[in-house]
Amino acid sequence: MGRRKKRRNALLRSETRTAYLCLIPSIIGLIFLTYIPLMEVFGLSFFSWKGNGFSGFKFVGLNNYIRLLTTDPYFKQSVLVTMYYTLMAVIGSMIYSLIIALLLNRKIPARGFWRAIFYLPYLLPAVAVYLGWNWLYNINYGLFNYIINRVFGLPRIGFINDAKLVAPSLALISVWLAGNLIVIFLAGLQNVPRSYLEAAEVDGASSWQRFWFITVPVISPIIFYNLLMALITNLQVITPALALTKGGPGSASRFVSYVMYQYAFENRKFGYAAAVSVMLFILIGIFTVILFATSRSWMFQQGGDDNE
Amino acid sequence: MKKLLAILICAMMVASIFAISASADDVVEITYSYWGTPEEAASVQAVADKFNAEQDRIHVTVLAIPNEEYTTTLNSMAAGNQLPDCGIMNENGVLDFAADGLLADISSMYEGAESMPLDAITFKADGKPVAYSAANEILFLYYNKDMFDAAGVAYPDPKTPYTWDEFVETAKLLTLDGNGNNAASPDFDPNNIVQYGCNVDNWTWQLEVWALSNGGAWFAPDGSACTINTPEVAESIQKVADLYLVDHVMQFRDGLEDSGIQSTIAAGNVAMATGGTWNVGTCMNLATFPYGVAPLPVMKKEVTICTGGPQVVFAQGDHQAEAMEFIKWYTKEENSWDSLIATGIWMPILEEYYVNEELTHKWVDNPNFSMGYENFKTSVVDYAHDYAVSTCWYYVPHTNEFLEYLRSELGSVWTGDISAADALSHAEAHLIEIFEGY
Repeated sequence: MGRRKKRRNALLRSETRTAYLCLIPSIIGLIFLTYIPLMEVFGLSFFSWKGNGFSGFKFVGLNNYIRLLTTDPYFKQSVLVTMYYTLMAVIGSMIYSLIIALLLNRKIPARGFWRAIFYLPYLLPAVAVYLGWNWLYNINYGLFNYIINRVFGLPRIGFINDAKLVAPSLALISVWLAGNLIVIFLAGLQNVPRSYLEAAEVDGASSWQRFWFITVPVISPIIFYNLLMALITNLQVITPALALTKGGPGSASRFVSYVMYQYAFENRKFGYAAAVSVMLFILIGIFTVILFATSRSWMFQQGGDDNE
Repeated sequence: MKKLLAILICAMMVASIFAISASADDVVEITYSYWGTPEEAASVQAVADKFNAEQDRIHVTVLAIPNEEYTTTLNSMAAGNQLPDCGIMNENGVLDFAADGLLADISSMYEGAESMPLDAITFKADGKPVAYSAANEILFLYYNKDMFDAAGVAYPDPKTPYTWDEFVETAKLLTLDGNGNNAASPDFDPNNIVQYGCNVDNWTWQLEVWALSNGGAWFAPDGSACTINTPEVAESIQKVADLYLVDHVMQFRDGLEDSGIQSTIAAGNVAMATGGTWNVGTCMNLATFPYGVAPLPVMKKEVTICTGGPQVVFAQGDHQAEAMEFIKWYTKEENSWDSLIATGIWMPILEEYYVNEELTHKWVDNPNFSMGYENFKTSVVDYAHDYAVSTCWYYVPHTNEFLEYLRSELGSVWTGDISAADALSHAEAHLIEIFEGY
């Protein structure tokens, strides 16, 4: 008995050793490529530095943060714009991807083909996607405006040239790109036990009741995961501003990440840009905490709680 | 035997190290950064190879960086202490690079030279030259002759510019709806325009010329003050915005990118467009219609602005003297003649090309200037010499950030949501903050 235990311990130790050995590359990567730069960014945010060598560092204390929260011409609006865009993009892509996943989960002809079709946008290079959408949205030569103006004779619409329309128009692209959410939802839907649905059907539950009272609770952890991922990805949004709108018109699509990018890489205000990214980090942190805190009340814990 | 082999290998390694260091002592490797596609860089590398072949002490390798990423890439390289030895630079970052100690002193570049670069294209900090533009580019008016002929309208005079009102009236005659009515006709349908009369580029830096033309200025001439919030400047911007909003002679432009010529007159749906000289060789050479050039319309005063990216020596490298030698060689007109000057992309920087007609002939008398020698000489060469003033980035720092913020504030002016006067009043405090540095 004792010898067997010893052997098992030895086996466990050697497995642990192997596990740690395998983990070393990713731990090194995490430390040097994520955590140390993260701390450096945090440290840099208390300095003024224009990328001009060590002599260029000037300690400014909290000044970067103070300016950011008081007189900065972009920051406050960029937070609002980012939140507005995120709200639309997250809600839109969650609803869209759940509906598409529900449809693709049915026994439809050429199901594999349709799954590939809806997943495809997610695989396309981002810049190509935004260039393509520019050809749809452009006010002078875009396809949408060709139809609106030339076919129906209506005034042109500035989808990405109108301050009121630019965020919804960009959010629509984000919804269209949500192929990854569809795949994850599909995996979740395939785990809904058929026996529950059949039992409810026998009891006379309508298809809406079966969806709302069985499917949704069962896939609620998937909903939570998708919601979290969509939230974080969209709060970090920068590509549409870089590839399509340059933050405009005015500052109507000047997202927080884009403000950071401009200060750092266009104006060489690296310390100030570091402060912007710390603020974005905090913003994402706040939303993530809120999501986790509220999830307890609506997420169905099928496997029980480890803490209990 | 094994030992012998090991000793031999070691000896070879040591010898090769010495060989490398010996060759490194002989030839200094320097990097020159250039904006453009790999194809463009290949033509620049061909020029550099000429330099490489002419002497055996310095070897230049061209580093191509896409145009739209040029500033951000250089800024990142500066932060990493990895700047190339020398390169071309975007104008709006030059004075900031100089102020932050990232540029080497090039003030001796033209010491003892017979002809100096035009003063208007010399970057100055506290009155001292810190960089010279590699090319001279001015803004003027391009026009499509076929569209003028079809409308029965006389071509613009190559010497006497339109007044602004004449320009707008001409643009109306050249703007056509789907039924063939022009914008001066009472039956004109502004929702169904198929040909636009004009495009006045609202890419932000180019708007400075209209402020000057209207008797205002963004900055005091010595760069000591920001004077952008004045009625003259506001009116100049509003007049440009009204071409789309009120007169319906220009398509909507968001002022976000440099495509004022490519996407308008060169695309064949606009009769007149303002733009820089470089378009002669970068896109108008591909035009399928005959075109002419004329000075910019005048609001109150005849003026144009000039600019041109400078060749600089960066201060982070160990081979500044060699980089300076290459830049000095490279900026000689004959070394960029075939690829850049004769094609019309660059105008020469030395004054003699503007005052010595023999040299002007050498430069302009070639098929790349399809509008003809006389037209280009009168409307561009003479105009550049007599009426061009420096764009603000030659004497005002922080212009990149200044222009970016101004652009963001003017976005709502182009859509007609606010007036130019309101936009400038709102923007003034921050523009001054940026101008003064923070």
